[in-house]
Amino acid sequence: MSSSLLSRLATWAVTALVMILLPLFFKQGFALSMLSQMGIAIIFALSYNMLLGQTGLLSFGHAVYYGLGAFICAHALNAIGAGRFHLPVTLLPLVGGVAGLFFGIIFGYVTTRRSGTPFAMISLGIAEMVAACALMFPGFFGGEGGIATNRQLGQPWHGLSYGPQTQVYYLIAGWCFLCMIAMFALTQTPLGRMANAVRDNPERAKFVGYNPTRVRYLVLCLSSFFAGIAGSLGTINYEIVTAENVGVVASGNVLIMAFVGGVGHFFGPVIGAVLVSFLQSALSSYTQGWLLYFGLFFVFMVLFAPGGIASLLTVHVPAARAGLFPRLVPSYLLSAVALAVPLAGGIALVEMTYHLETQSELGKGLKLFGLNVDPSHPTVWIVSAIVLAAGVGLFLLSLLPLKAAWQSVNAELQARGPA
Amino acid sequence: MSQAALELKGVHKSFGRTPIINGVDLAIAQGERHAIIGPNGAGKSTLFNLISARFPVTSGQVLLNGQDITGLEAHEINRKGLSRSFQITNIFPRLSVYENLRCALLWSLGYRYSFWQRVGGLKDVRARTEEIVDKIGLSRRRERPAGMLSYAEQRALEIGITIAGGADVILLDEPTAGMSHSETRDAVELIRTVTQGKTLVMVEHDMGVVFGLADRISVLVYGRVLASGTPEEIRGNPAVREAYLGTEAD
Repeated sequence: MSSSLLSRLATWAVTALVMILLPLFFKQGFALSMLSQMGIAIIFALSYNMLLGQTGLLSFGHAVYYGLGAFICAHALNAIGAGRFHLPVTLLPLVGGVAGLFFGIIFGYVTTRRSGTPFAMISLGIAEMVAACALMFPGFFGGEGGIATNRQLGQPWHGLSYGPQTQVYYLIAGWCFLCMIAMFALTQTPLGRMANAVRDNPERAKFVGYNPTRVRYLVLCLSSFFAGIAGSLGTINYEIVTAENVGVVASGNVLIMAFVGGVGHFFGPVIGAVLVSFLQSALSSYTQGWLLYFGLFFVFMVLFAPGGIASLLTVHVPAARAGLFPRLVPSYLLSAVALAVPLAGGIALVEMTYHLETQSELGKGLKLFGLNVDPSHPTVWIVSAIVLAAGVGLFLLSLLPLKAAWQSVNAELQARGPA
Repeated sequence: MSQAALELKGVHKSFGRTPIINGVDLAIAQGERHAIIGPNGAGKSTLFNLISARFPVTSGQVLLNGQDITGLEAHEINRKGLSRSFQITNIFPRLSVYENLRCALLWSLGYRYSFWQRVGGLKDVRARTEEIVDKIGLSRRRERPAGMLSYAEQRALEIGITIAGGADVILLDEPTAGMSHSETRDAVELIRTVTQGKTLVMVEHDMGVVFGLADRISVLVYGRVLASGTPEEIRGNPAVREAYLGTEAD
């Protein structure tokens, strides 16, 4: 018991340390703003998973609470600048959190009366409704241009002006850490446990005295609070909020983060948020086709790893504990190498298509994997297609030794008996 | 005259235009072990679903300890001290055995929707959960996800969830269905211990279980109570023999 508590404390300490030290290694502006983006995404994705992973509520409208929190925060920040409102910027995320909570109380009352598909549909409707409002009320939402603000409007507080991105990063990291701990703590409370019970079997929850509607409602309200905090950190970070932030696309994005990371584990969405934010900013600067790759990646995850990256990691825990993981490494390496082949073929095809469709008039030659390629020539297409097809076959073959390695590991684990 | 723990007055239920329960009157005394038997389709499970508010009654009244509970929601009835199990196992499959039982008793210990207390730190919750885990004999399985238990273990867990909240009136819907002889024997022992001092109503097909456990038996045929009485009275009742026991014995 105490040893599990100790390891939990150690996990949090390491997390804090990593968050504190990261800017020392990533000093460039690009890296720092990406880290800030990740921190915001982590809070948002974890708040989303309070619904999906913990309570079994598939929401297509969670960005409503993020976005409205962000808008209210932008107005609050501008009011601070105009001298009509007094609050250190450091504490501004609380305003967004309360705003998120407020809208969670209102909209959640409607959405959580149902679960399953009706809940998903109603949440989608609310997202569409709020997005429509964004165009109807330009005074509040700023119309197409959104609401711009300036995080340096507030008085410097204990020397924090939030001019430098480093200060913003630490603000986000601090709130991110607090929110992670708070959301984890919530999973350990009676409400958190009953949320799991309602996810598993709402009817049974009724027959042990709980009203599943009330459980869902409370969880949604709390998760909106954290979404609002994430939203206001977004306001402080980007200094602009637009109608896109409340929309269905933003809601879909957080779903993807949580799902890719793994909704079955508390830390899954953290992994998803980090990875997706990274792909969004890094991949998009490399290739126009990044959304396509991102979409394909999501599809493959849903098909082959529905438990997300977190479950891909946790299946290895028993083997790692037993010291058997090294046995899997060679076949994993083999599969990784084999996988690179069809990836290269596929990427070549995608990139050449994009190049022909969008950039051919520029006359620029295409550079792929360090080679100059002429996409107008049929040979490269044929070669790429062959590489893709042969690569898929190669990859499937490479899975055979991997499967055998897993079988031997599982057999050994079984022979050693339950731990 | 002492008050009945559970009383049904003229309870009717129709699905669409099909009547399933045709005016059931039944009074079950405090501390009584009462079995409801009857041929398939007689409406036994439906009757349970009406009492526990899984379905609304079409007409009639249900009284729990003299209090009218007709029209209340299932969770409200549970909070008043009536708990039930299900014919088809109804547990929290992804939660561990321990977690299943803990969730089943949080409300009864007054923790409601608390999100400001750490559930692991609640001593009364832990003590009570441990007690139930031991009682239903699943101590060795406590960390296992409930969905991965054997059938008999799941049935034991089902009973554990039902009694965990300390309800006074327990409804068990075919607790031994699908069990082997030895499993049934264990289940009967379990039911006997966990319902000590409580009012038990159960639907059961196994006549050995019924006559071994019940103080009183009601026979339900075509949505009506054909007869109600002690096991001896029921055994000797010619109408029952004709309608039910006779055909069953063939």
